[in-house]
Amino acid sequence: MAGADGLVQYSRPLSELRAADESRFGGKSAGLGELLGAGIPVPDGFALSTAAFSTFLVRAGLVPEIERRLASLRLEDLDSVGLACAEIAEAIGSASVPGAVEAEIAGGYAELARASGESAPPVAVRSSAIGEDSATDTFAGQQQTLLWVRGAEDVTRAVRDCWASLYSLTAVSYRARAARAGEAPAMGVAVQLMVDASVSGVMFTCNPVSGDPSIIAVNASWGLGEAVVGGEVTPDEYLLSKITREVVRTRIGAKLIEYVPAPAGGGTVRREVPDERREVPCLPEGALGALVDLARRVERHFGSHQDIEWAIARAGALPDTLSVLQSRPVTAIPERQRRPQPQSAISLVMSTFGAGRPPSIDA
Amino acid sequence: MDSTAPAVGAFPSPFSIEAPPGCEGWQEMYPYYALFDERRRESDEPRFWFWNSMHFPVPMPAFDVICIDSPYQAVGSWQNRVFAVPPAMGIDYRIVNGYVYISGNPVTDPAKIAERAEFFQKRAGFYYENWTELYGKWRAKMESLIAELGDLHVPELPEYEPDEVAFGDDRNTAFYEVLDAYGRALRLDDLMWQHHFEFLLLGYGAYGTFVEFCKGHLPDIPDQHIAQMVAGIDVLLFKPDAELRRLARLALDTGVDGAFAQGRSPEEIDAALEQSEAGRSWLEELEKAKDPWFNMATGDGLYHYYRSWLDDPSIPYAALIGYVTALRSGEQIERPAEEIKRERDRLAYEYGALLDDDSRGAFNNLLALSRTVFPYVEEHKFFCDYWFLTRWWNKIREFGALLAERGFLQDGEDIFQLTRHEVASALDEMVLTWATGGEPLGPKHWPPIVARRKEILERLAQWNPPPALGVTPEAITDPMTIMLWGVTTERVREWARQQDGGRVLNGAAASPGLIEGVARVVKSVNELSDLQDGEILVCGSTSPAWAPIFSKIKATVTDVGGVMSHAAIVCREYGLPAVVGTGRATSEIHTGQTIRVDGTEGVVTLLDVEG
Repeated sequence: MAGADGLVQYSRPLSELRAADESRFGGKSAGLGELLGAGIPVPDGFALSTAAFSTFLVRAGLVPEIERRLASLRLEDLDSVGLACAEIAEAIGSASVPGAVEAEIAGGYAELARASGESAPPVAVRSSAIGEDSATDTFAGQQQTLLWVRGAEDVTRAVRDCWASLYSLTAVSYRARAARAGEAPAMGVAVQLMVDASVSGVMFTCNPVSGDPSIIAVNASWGLGEAVVGGEVTPDEYLLSKITREVVRTRIGAKLIEYVPAPAGGGTVRREVPDERREVPCLPEGALGALVDLARRVERHFGSHQDIEWAIARAGALPDTLSVLQSRPVTAIPERQRRPQPQSAISLVMSTFGAGRPPSIDA
Repeated sequence: MDSTAPAVGAFPSPFSIEAPPGCEGWQEMYPYYALFDERRRESDEPRFWFWNSMHFPVPMPAFDVICIDSPYQAVGSWQNRVFAVPPAMGIDYRIVNGYVYISGNPVTDPAKIAERAEFFQKRAGFYYENWTELYGKWRAKMESLIAELGDLHVPELPEYEPDEVAFGDDRNTAFYEVLDAYGRALRLDDLMWQHHFEFLLLGYGAYGTFVEFCKGHLPDIPDQHIAQMVAGIDVLLFKPDAELRRLARLALDTGVDGAFAQGRSPEEIDAALEQSEAGRSWLEELEKAKDPWFNMATGDGLYHYYRSWLDDPSIPYAALIGYVTALRSGEQIERPAEEIKRERDRLAYEYGALLDDDSRGAFNNLLALSRTVFPYVEEHKFFCDYWFLTRWWNKIREFGALLAERGFLQDGEDIFQLTRHEVASALDEMVLTWATGGEPLGPKHWPPIVARRKEILERLAQWNPPPALGVTPEAITDPMTIMLWGVTTERVREWARQQDGGRVLNGAAASPGLIEGVARVVKSVNELSDLQDGEILVCGSTSPAWAPIFSKIKATVTDVGGVMSHAAIVCREYGLPAVVGTGRATSEIHTGQTIRVDGTEGVVTLLDVEG
């Protein structure tokens, strides 16, 4: 999939990327590369660089028009911002992708087809933003995901949709508020084989609510992970001990809907979960142990608390069916008490009895 | 049958509680000072009293009140007069409809607290530093106390005193011996409670500090793991069970295991064993093990009806049958001590490794101190609550038998329906009329009182005591209340909530914090524009597209969603309390209603019904 000698390379296999590649391929792709490098099961895929996007903008002659429209924005006038955004997105959507980029997408996709043994394997196309891959960015519409895309042409279109998402109303107003309106946004794209998930979800390598570092917190629901991430279901919740793998607390949610591949073969559909599956635990036997093990490996690799999206494939048996779709550092862990405290046991016990000495004597 | 009397604060006033029908006059079972009395109303009514359901889950028989008086005399003495725990004196108790309510006496004057801290640091410090040695002495004291109880003789009242009284130097007649033995029995119980509380506060204090430390740094750590890290490997409390396992193996080794057939009673098993030489020598082994290991109680409590394995062998025999059956099917029944020790050290290492260096130092020091004090924390129950108390109740039963024999009671067991002072009075009359040969009134006086009290206790058992009485405190600060009963500010808040009768929705605690405010129910995107600054968003679920409104709202409540939905994550980033997945918030809550969102506990309370 490399470009011809002397030409710019627009794509690389995910497995070749490392954290240092973030500035050229975005956080998501670099993170997936890190995971693959650490031997963690992640679906195969390739990444498009930010250069693919900037080349596209330049070749299509879109730069002056976008700059002109954004320069005249009055943020308080939501209608006019919305109109400008729609026009930019429209322009991006109708411009053609440069041949060299298109060829690399097709090459990368063909490689995935060979690896999967399918002629047109379904893939996920996700934007891979530069800078922090934080939840706030996601929430602010900086991230676009297109699922169950088949065929090189559709993948190319999906890539273009990801690029266009940088100019959605939410994304533009977010950048404006964050005083980043003037910056030309850069974005990579990750293209990854889809997991046909029977169950998927998110897990944290700490309890995100209490901050407890001895917990693996798992949310799980039927089908693809979007239902959990988007808050569209009340998932099954588990707090698992990182140390003994025991279930510390559990709450089975009412999982009313699920996302599954569209019957026609492209995209996904949201459908109701039949009654008999709604309020029963969705994780198969052995999944909790496998999730704890996987979470610990990911945490050990990055050396910090991680927020991990995972999926369990329909076909096959655990733990081989379990894979990681994304991992990023946990933001906003509640601050635990950080005031200085004595280390001597008797001083600490004295405080329990209300007989603590002043810290100067304690220390 | 909960009282619906006017409330002071969130809990009923102790002076508003009515006697359940048919229980009028229940007060006469208890000492005058144990009651809520008009003469003390001014100081008692504004206090916070909570039901000590941990130690006294059912209405108190009159005699068993000694298990309130003695322990509270003892705990107060050590806590207030010996160690001078700075912010807390002793614990007062009152009885309402047979149930025991307690309230700590705080020390509030800062100068007094500082003065007490001097005592406490010196005296408690001495105990912690010399714990193992002092605890060794304590065990010796308890063993000799139990021996003295065993030696305490409750005499018969003979037709004629024996020759020794007539001719010997030791000229005590039976009337004196009976009264002396009763007085001594009561004093031995006081002594036991005095010993009981010598180490208890400090032992629980050290262990409790470690527990709190763990929960502060590892909020979700299971209690079981904390206990596993501290627990001793070879402690006294495991010995009775270990003896049963040893005896089960012996039964198999000597070929008498056939006697332990499922469904057999202890008597049937003994009879089967008597048939063979091997069986008889097994029974001899059992006899050796009984003292002291069968001095286990059949239940955990401070009432006279908790008997020991010696009195009621059905529990140890059932265990023996189970162990024999397990051994026959090739199972391992011994506690794997090495494995337990390895796991305990692994847990301590792994939890410690999750902490920063400073915290790990404190963690290791507290763990070491907890392990030092823990033998007392575990073993005092065997010595005091089981071994001593089950034997002591039996000693009281001997006085009951004496009274029953002379017609003062219909059944020896009825002694527990009289207060200990009434028993003294009945014994007085009994030895008096034995001495004089006159007609005792007791046989006509006591049985109707006993019958009435049994009936009252049965009715009181049907009454639902409120969890607390009096005025809700702003915060629970008494270290004893928190440490020994686990009654914390949050716990009391939860009780008060239930008393309010307020409607409560439970969901997942998605983002911590507690806030009250006005609800805005948003059922579709078009209603978002109605949202006012500072309102609480109540919605089916939030959408990533709603990002801009999160700077306007105070908290979020949703019908569906989990703690890892992006909405929950963003709430945590914005520091907004959030409860998600309540199931029915949008149908239960109305716009304009005041609600309380507790994002730490995952509870939403509807504070007013209109709106």
